Amino acid sequence: MKVLKASLGWIEERTGVVAFVAPLLFHHVPRNAKWWYVFGSATLMFFTIQLVTGVCLATVYAPSAAQAWESLNYIDNHVPMGWMLRALHGWSSNAMVVMMAIHMLQVFLHASYKYPRELNWITGVFLLLTTLALAFTGQVMRWDQDAYWGLGIGAAIADRIPLVGDEVRALLLGGPIIGGATLNRFFALHVFVLPGAAIALVGLHMVLIIKNGISEMPKPGAVVVPSMYRKEFEERMHKDGVPFVPDAAQRDMVFCGVCLIGLVALAAFYGPFGPGGMPDPTIIDTNPRPDYPFMWLFGAVSLLPPSSETAIMLIAPAVGVLILVALPFMSNSGERAPSKRPAMVLIALVTVMAIAALTWEGTTSSWSPVMNGWSSLPTPVKFVRGRTPLEMQGAVVFQFAQCRNCHSLDGLGGKRGPELDDVATRLSYDQLVRQVQQGGGNMPAYGKNLDSAQTAAVVAFLATLHPANEPDSRIPGAQLSVPTDNATAR
Amino acid sequence: MNCVRAGCCTVSLWCWMVGGGCERPHPEQHAAALSLDSPAAAQALFDSNCRGCHSQGAEGAALPLMNKNYWAIATDAVVVQAISHGQGRLMPAYIDSEGGPFTAQEIALFVKGMRSAWGAGAVGRGGGVSPLIVAGDPALGAQVFAESCASCHGSQGTAGSVTDQMYLRLVSDQGLWSSVIYGRCELGMPAWDDALPNRPSGLTVAEVAHVVSWISSQRVAAHDGSATP
Repeated sequence: MKVLKASLGWIEERTGVVAFVAPLLFHHVPRNAKWWYVFGSATLMFFTIQLVTGVCLATVYAPSAAQAWESLNYIDNHVPMGWMLRALHGWSSNAMVVMMAIHMLQVFLHASYKYPRELNWITGVFLLLTTLALAFTGQVMRWDQDAYWGLGIGAAIADRIPLVGDEVRALLLGGPIIGGATLNRFFALHVFVLPGAAIALVGLHMVLIIKNGISEMPKPGAVVVPSMYRKEFEERMHKDGVPFVPDAAQRDMVFCGVCLIGLVALAAFYGPFGPGGMPDPTIIDTNPRPDYPFMWLFGAVSLLPPSSETAIMLIAPAVGVLILVALPFMSNSGERAPSKRPAMVLIALVTVMAIAALTWEGTTSSWSPVMNGWSSLPTPVKFVRGRTPLEMQGAVVFQFAQCRNCHSLDGLGGKRGPELDDVATRLSYDQLVRQVQQGGGNMPAYGKNLDSAQTAAVVAFLATLHPANEPDSRIPGAQLSVPTDNATAR
Repeated sequence: MNCVRAGCCTVSLWCWMVGGGCERPHPEQHAAALSLDSPAAAQALFDSNCRGCHSQGAEGAALPLMNKNYWAIATDAVVVQAISHGQGRLMPAYIDSEGGPFTAQEIALFVKGMRSAWGAGAVGRGGGVSPLIVAGDPALGAQVFAESCASCHGSQGTAGSVTDQMYLRLVSDQGLWSSVIYGRCELGMPAWDDALPNRPSGLTVAEVAHVVSWISSQRVAAHDGSATP
């Protein structure tokens, strides 16, 4: 004991480490800072897990275009518990993004970004950007089809930048195309640049937390007045605060423990992410997806009208970041309680719902045909009853040509094309023939795939699809039904 | 006390997870291995591969396999043949040697399973008529058609023409044969042995052959040279 004390004293005299650490551990935090305040710590825990598992993975991963994919399969299948390492790294990255989003939402709702914590918020915004960049570059590390097409989309977005698009894309990819140089670039970013930036930003974030203290739970009426706030806050902390260790830290630890158990459970039961198919651009039988943090973006970009794509893809992210950075400057004083800031609560609510809805859209991607999706669903009774032999054959052709992968009947089927329950009220016989044969409006032309008899049959079937009490589409001068020598009495 | 309880929970959770083993999870391995010739497996396979066209009961546009006559008339060999090599122009081949997803053995087991699932429901007269087409006399068939089919399928009928050229270019003679013998009872089209106009006890085997050969004789070659069944 004596020796220990002496050596600590020896170190302390030369470094001042205890004098430095003690205030960090025992600084006073608000007494009412309870479970709302654990999310930042959990984010930090996930980041630490990322660093540890990431270093372990880097010992086996081969950052070369020829070997990356194989080395991941090697980690999954041959390194003892290697799959667990990859699973932890993958799930922890998603958990880190989610926890960071929750932390940010809590700070936003409690208006903790107001004076004097503006820079806490801004470093947080940059941490968010760094984390998302880490998630994206991490997805590239998998070097599978998702990675390949994700890169392709990223490069295509960069390409849209006016004037310097070519150069930015070349910088990103290390050349005109996705190749070995691309992976090395992203490896350098993912393993050196971005983690370094994140560590520096986390450090800055912590320094600011110690400097400005943890914000109190917002109370209606307890307004922030910049000229008075710091003095009053410090008095309150001195009088009524509790030391961070152990009062607040124990809650952080319990929550982090629960998160850790959840993380290990997810990793153990669901295993690692990918790697998916080989990153071969000639394989088009693929359904590439971004990782979850970008699914909402995938949904949003897919649903944009083509004419607005360039403007929105390039401007919206910049505006979004600008708004986040500018937030504490737009309002850095006044009420903090959510009940006194209904507009802000509404903004948070709408943002969360929009991201959730777009994530759902991205996951289900209702805009793309689902192969094998609904081809095994029978044609509903109401669409076969009372049909002629030709129309019945048309219904079989309808299944045979897999029309239902994109079109729904009776609510079941793809959502890429319009539902066809009442198509005959919108298109006349001639228009149906033209649409089937020539396609158009996102629909491929089936003229080469269906011969005249098959087309006649499927159109005869489609022409019956209108509500019983509603007439079919009649366009002056247009042919109304099958030519008379084939007329099917109905 | 609370700490002890929380500690116990944590330790048991970890034990549970560690006890799960160190194997990488492979969810696809947990799919139950079904024996193909059981009725349940046949139903599942039918649902995912056939139901889109053949369906059950009144829904669906192609011949329904739960038709009251189907399993009484069709032999296993005929069903296996149709599944393996396709039928007419719209039913594809399902055997692996022709690009399909199943082996010959799987198809044989599947047919056995379907028969055990639905064969008992086959109540039709069945016997006597061949499931495969038999040649007949078109001239006699014209008479049969006029007497017993034309009231629905003729120019004044409400069920639609069966001599429509587009229809005849899509349906093979075997398809016409199947339509006549099995019918679509759920949708109002009688089977060969049901009561028909002027024929209260249905058609005879010879009349089926005659009428099918007459309908087939109405088919003319397509002008554009496209495929005919």
